[in-house]
Amino acid sequence: MDAVHEVLARSALVSLSATAIALLLGVPLGTWLALARIRGHRLLATFLNTGMAIPTVVVGLVVALLLWRSGPLGELELIYTLRGMVIAQVLIATPLIAGITMAGLQALPPELPDQLRALGAGRRQLVVRLWLEARVPLLAAAMAGFGHAVSEVGAATIVGGNIHGQTQVMTTSIVEQVGRGEFEEALVYAGVLLALAFAINALLTSVQQRAASWARA
Amino acid sequence: MGSRLRLRGIRHRRGGREVLAVAELDLAAGERLAVLGPNGAGKTTLLRLVAGLEEPAEGSVEIDGVPTVEAGAELRRRIGYATQRAGLLSTSVRRNVELPLRWRGLPKAARTQTALAALERLGVAHLAERRAAALSGGEAQRVSLARALALDPRLLLLDEPAAALDAEARRSFLDDLAALLADRSMTVVHVSHRADEALRLADRVAVLVNGAVRQLAEPSRVLREPADAMVARLVGYENVLPARVDGSGDVLIAGKRCGLRRTEEPGPVAVAAWATGLRLAEAESGALEAMVQLVTAGPGRWEVVLAAGDTTLRAHLPLTEAPPAPGDRRAVHIDQRLARLVSAP
Repeated sequence: MDAVHEVLARSALVSLSATAIALLLGVPLGTWLALARIRGHRLLATFLNTGMAIPTVVVGLVVALLLWRSGPLGELELIYTLRGMVIAQVLIATPLIAGITMAGLQALPPELPDQLRALGAGRRQLVVRLWLEARVPLLAAAMAGFGHAVSEVGAATIVGGNIHGQTQVMTTSIVEQVGRGEFEEALVYAGVLLALAFAINALLTSVQQRAASWARA
Repeated sequence: MGSRLRLRGIRHRRGGREVLAVAELDLAAGERLAVLGPNGAGKTTLLRLVAGLEEPAEGSVEIDGVPTVEAGAELRRRIGYATQRAGLLSTSVRRNVELPLRWRGLPKAARTQTALAALERLGVAHLAERRAAALSGGEAQRVSLARALALDPRLLLLDEPAAALDAEARRSFLDDLAALLADRSMTVVHVSHRADEALRLADRVAVLVNGAVRQLAEPSRVLREPADAMVARLVGYENVLPARVDGSGDVLIAGKRCGLRRTEEPGPVAVAAWATGLRLAEAESGALEAMVQLVTAGPGRWEVVLAAGDTTLRAHLPLTEAPPAPGDRRAVHIDQRLARLVSAP
């Protein structure tokens, strides 16, 4: 079981780190797209929505080409490292988080930002207040981002290389075990991965539903 | 002390179309202006420009001599703003009122005290710990107004705050609003498409049609001397009738003399007449004659709709009179004291 714990801890570390960074990037990006009145807004939103559906192997391929030792970012020596995997998962989760953030903020009453500005809110106060109003979809964005990161296998395999004891995570381990015909062990890993996803989502869902019931009641 | 407001050469466009053109508008400190106009007249746009939420394509809006586009959040903190959507946040009523006070840097104890006092004035202090989402429309509007007044603004902007309320809640809300404003010296701009709402709170009324000010005057003057047929309709004249001045100066409605005269040159005009100024009598030759179409009982009166050719007339008769029946023909006499000749539409 030690091996499972080690791989589980690595999966949690990579995916939670990637989700945290993706939140730092995706929430401001989604907020800007929701509030900015700019030319080409629809085109940018379309790019973002496309990013939400981009296959993880494509992200893995692009990141691997960039991080490859002879690639433009090869000097950073991030290929087949956990940090490289985090970068790939950030690129996977960010469009999803930004897209849900944008949709969540756009679903607020359209006059609300102007009302808050008219009541004297500065730019930062306005944005913080809107995030609080959209806390339910923002928590959904966090859950979706983490879910996407922890469950993806394509980018983790290409960028991490599934190196035992170094970059192997739950999903790449399951694929490897299935390839070897070790279905029983693969099922154990799958159960543990599901338990991890459940634990994180149970925590976030609890916060989200408390926020939702406060807003509804 | 209220703020001074000054608009000069305002032209504003949206989607390539000019939506507002106000050459000049000044409000003295403490003055109350009602902006009356139909939907789409540019009322909300005017308010948004004053609030600094939009920048005019041309011209300037100054509050106390400071252009709104330059001043930002600091200037907006002198302004209270309440709209027809209460725009409350999903937190408690008290926190909703406290939040703008926090943005102004008030300490916690002072915020709470000020918020509760504002809620008390609007009669909703008992809702302070209730969640905003659980309020009725009328309660939410009172909280929204309390939030605006808690700031002790120098300029209060009201964008049809009672528009979404039912008749009873609206009446009660407007009564309380009038009483609250009577106690304060703030400058007020109140936009509405309802004459009764606009006129009761105002020192002056600006009638806005298609983005332009058609008339700017005291409420009594706008009521007595509407500038044109459109203004007459907006301030509530039930009859705005197409008419013609003949060579002898008599005013003809549906080709019949109506008792009004005009000394100016012959041509088309409109007669604006209050429904209470129409008196019905037995049909007589030469008089304006109309056929009764509909008779309904209104609040303290009979409401009678008549047709004279293509012209529809509305008369309000005392309940003490026996009402005519649909199909009856009646001579219509217009009380000159309750009618005005205005330029034709």
